[in-house]
Order: sequence, then structure tokens, then C-alpha cells
Amino acid sequence: MRQIVQRALIILIGGAALGLAANLVSPRRIPLITPPKQAIPETEFIPLSEAYALWSGGAGFFLDARAPADYKAGHIPNAFSLPAEEFDAYYPQVESMLNTDSAIVCYCNGVECDLSRHLAEVLKQRGFTNIRILKNAWTEWVKAGYPIAKGAQP
Amino acid sequence: MVNLILRLVLGSIFVAAGVTKIWPVKVTTAPFTMTVTSYAPDASEFAGSVLNYRVPPRALNNLVAITFPWIELLAGGLLMCGIWKRASTVVITVLMVVFLIVIGQAVARGLNISCGCFGTVEGRKVGLTALAEDTAMFAAALWLLWRDKEKEENPA
Repeated sequence: MRQIVQRALIILIGGAALGLAANLVSPRRIPLITPPKQAIPETEFIPLSEAYALWSGGAGFFLDARAPADYKAGHIPNAFSLPAEEFDAYYPQVESMLNTDSAIVCYCNGVECDLSRHLAEVLKQRGFTNIRILKNAWTEWVKAGYPIAKGAQP
Repeated sequence: MVNLILRLVLGSIFVAAGVTKIWPVKVTTAPFTMTVTSYAPDASEFAGSVLNYRVPPRALNNLVAITFPWIELLAGGLLMCGIWKRASTVVITVLMVVFLIVIGQAVARGLNISCGCFGTVEGRKVGLTALAEDTAMFAAALWLLWRDKEKEENPA
């Protein structure tokens, strides 16, 4: 019994040590302690009315960070689907249309939704500078009675 | 015989779960291709999955993402090879308890997140299916604990 516990501990500690070592030597290492969540400054949010003005002027790029199925079920017209969780697969489709200073509005749905924030962070890392987030977007957009589009196309 | 099959199946599931978390792969459906996104161990993707479960303390999430896949890989590999069977089964049983609790709380809170169980390969959402699979694996581990004794390691 004691031997089993000892060996189990060796597996746990050995595995953890391997993991730490692999992370240490990997060029893609991540910090051991999770960096604290960054509070989003209010300016990064775009009020609904401003977003609508931007949208109707045709000047901004709206990026839908939700899952493709949600996009298909209904989205803001002319918004492109760029699911935060499948960024690498979808990014090539929109990459050519965006400039680093394009006015970009990321949205998802629900007050608790983190997808648009994730998407904004990833885009920022790629050098985009003019990104804002529309909070609880889909619900608010529909509630305001603004136009919507359905299907996989923008 | 049953024990051997259970050991091979459970062990290989753990090896697969570990490998796909350590080296994230990208799968496209038609035409089916599977590409490794990085040959260098990349914990960032799994770290994102761990964060999604929103289990505090948040600061330790990365440490979990860095270490757990390797523990899975090691324990699964040992179990498959029949080395330290009892000890690796104990580790796997403990891991299954942790996974069941973490997935259970996510389902209970209605979190709409991807499972992260095998990296993000299947893009599968956490839900009752994941919970059922894990329960089956937990049962298999318990069975092995109960029936798969290593007599040779306990000399009289």
C-alpha cells in the first residue's frame, strides 16, 4: 500500500516536473502564474447608438466572435464571422479586408460573454489599434429593432 | 483479459488526452486533415480551456495547464505498458475525480464552453456527454483498482 502511494506520488511529481521542464524550454512557454484579468477601460466599449451610426455609415468592420452556428442563426448584417474559439481557422478569410487602423467592432452576446474580449485581445496582439467592443451586442441589437441577417454569409 | 483490455483502453485515452493538450492539433473536416500547430509544447491553448471552466484560484490555472497533460501522458503510458499498474491507476482515478467535479460544476452552471478534454481537437462543448464519458472512465479505473492486483509486487 505504501509503495503504491509512493509510486503514485512519483507519477504526479514526475509528470508535473516534465510539464514544467517542457514549458520552460518551449519557445511557446506560458507564465507559471496566470496573469490577472485586465480590466477593460470604458473607452474600449462602444455604445450601441454609436455602433449603429458606424454600421449605417458603412465605415466600420463588425466581427462576430460567437460560434459559427450562432452567426448562422442571426447576425448583424455585413458583420464577418470570426469565432474567437476558432480564430486561426477563420482569420485568413477576413485578414485581407482589414487594415491595422480599421475601425473594428467585436461583438458576441450576453453580458457575461468573453468571446468579443478574447477576440479583441488576439487582434490587438496582431497590431490592430482601433478595436472596440459592443457589450451584450446581439440581444441589444435585436431589442433596438435594427436590421439583422441570417445564414453563413455576411 | 478484461483487465488487460480496460488497461489498454483507459491508458491510451489518457495518452491521447495528454498528447493533444501538449501539442495542439488542428483538424479540418472535408478533406480530413490533421495538422500539428506546433512541435514545441504549447500549453497556451489548454490554458485557455482551463480558464474557461472558471475554477478559482485563477492564478493557478496556468500551472494546471502546464502540468496536468504530462501527468495524464505519464500515467496513461505506464498503465498501457503495465508498469506500476496500481500506482498509475490510482493517479488516473484521482484525475477522473478532479475532471468529474470540474466538468460537473461547468454543466451545473450552464457554461457554454469547449471541453478541452482532448485539446480542442473535437471542438466539443462540455456537457452531459462529456460527463457520461468521464463517468465511464472513472468506473473503468475503479474496476482496475478493485480487480487488477499486482500479485508479483506484494511478495508474501
